[in-house]
Amino acid sequence: MSDERAVPGWLSVVAAVAGKDLRIEFRTRSRSFTMAGFVVLVGVLFNFSIDQALVRPQDIASGLTWITLILSGLIGVGRTFAIEKEDGAMSGLLLTPAPRDAIYIGKVVANFILVFGIVLLTLGVFGLFFRLDYGNHPGTLLLVLGAGALGFVALATLFGALTASTTLGESLLPILLFPLLVPMVVYGASASGRLLAGRPVAEVAGQGRMLAAFAVLALGAGAALFGQIVEE
Amino acid sequence: MTDDTSRPSSEGLGLHALRRRFGTHVALRDVDASLPAGLITTVFGPNGAGKSTLLRILAGSLRPTAGSVSWRGEKLDPRSADWRSRIGVLSHATHLYAPLGARENLAFHARMHGLEAPDLDAALERVDLLSRAEDRVSGFSRGMRQRLALARTLLHDPDVVLLDEPFTGLDSHAARLLEGVLRTLRDGRRTVVLVTHALGEGLALADHVLLLVRGSVRLDAPASDFEVDGFAERYHGIVDAAETGLAATASGSPA
Repeated sequence: MSDERAVPGWLSVVAAVAGKDLRIEFRTRSRSFTMAGFVVLVGVLFNFSIDQALVRPQDIASGLTWITLILSGLIGVGRTFAIEKEDGAMSGLLLTPAPRDAIYIGKVVANFILVFGIVLLTLGVFGLFFRLDYGNHPGTLLLVLGAGALGFVALATLFGALTASTTLGESLLPILLFPLLVPMVVYGASASGRLLAGRPVAEVAGQGRMLAAFAVLALGAGAALFGQIVEE
Repeated sequence: MTDDTSRPSSEGLGLHALRRRFGTHVALRDVDASLPAGLITTVFGPNGAGKSTLLRILAGSLRPTAGSVSWRGEKLDPRSADWRSRIGVLSHATHLYAPLGARENLAFHARMHGLEAPDLDAALERVDLLSRAEDRVSGFSRGMRQRLALARTLLHDPDVVLLDEPFTGLDSHAARLLEGVLRTLRDGRRTVVLVTHALGEGLALADHVLLLVRGSVRLDAPASDFEVDGFAERYHGIVDAAETGLAATASGSPA
């Protein structure tokens, strides 16, 4: 080709896609309200269904937090491509020269902010209902949950793109996603359980590294495959 | 119709034995044609003729089963970022985000094209939407959305403009405004491909006419060869003959 055309910068596309998704979410609150409602509902239900004289909240809080993270995350991330399907917005996005991996990472960033907000809400709700003690290393606990949330969001965004183009849509997402999340839940629930029990950070270092590796692998696979999935 | 001031400035798009299958159905059958630069080529055809398939291949959203496309004499990769930076696509789907404002939609599109200082006011003014720049698209009528989609299509000053049934669902005012902007695209530089069912509107804008029936080119001629009434008669004659011929072939009797 003869004359040069403008080329979109990779980081600029990431920031633009993430900013656009967050702005739309801020205006419609279509996902965050549902996710937050789900978290509060889980807190209320478990508050009534667990006899705290027999079961210590500290013992079940870790598993409960991860289950809440994944299920509420599915509600939110599963709908990440719903807005893109309206009036062919995703098709329009794919007609631009924007790098596909940058579009994917932009959507992951927006989804991560949303899901990590839900993680914080989950800890707050459980603290309120169960008087949960966050252990001696709340910062490390947040890092562990953050790494898990990132791995989850990376895979859920990728599979959300895949299922959005099928007739089964969101109902297919958990079927595809859950088996792949097993290693993350195993390491994540174990690490956060130990931290909530007040065990030293050194005891969860290995699990933390596995969670980080899982997140990096999921992000890499997502960035590499996203273009293949969304284009014909 | 074309006038003598708007002649092709250089070679535009070339379609070379372009074929596309969907399972057993052949949507395009070895299409060979030239879509000259600097002119508006209108692609006519009945439903299922392969018009939208052709446009999707040119836009890079569909791969041809066989054949190729050339641009300015060179073989083209319609999926390359360079090509995508050169095309603007307008269809009945507006590709807009309803919760965002008109200006926000254009600003987002500009960033996807790497435009550093896009003149969004001028783009909105061109489609008579500057006064609604901050309003959310969710409150826009169909005609306003289509005008904003046109502004988005042209924002990055594309070399090739692909228009798929852009008049669908528009009232007469919106259609007239759209037609006015499309006429300004006949600037001697841009290649414009318009796909439509609307014979009158399509011919009024066209410099060059292509008629597709069942995936094959049945007419490839300058629009100046036709008047609207004569073209409608010719169009129906060709389409009827092609359909009758196919029906006869299918039943085994001579056409």
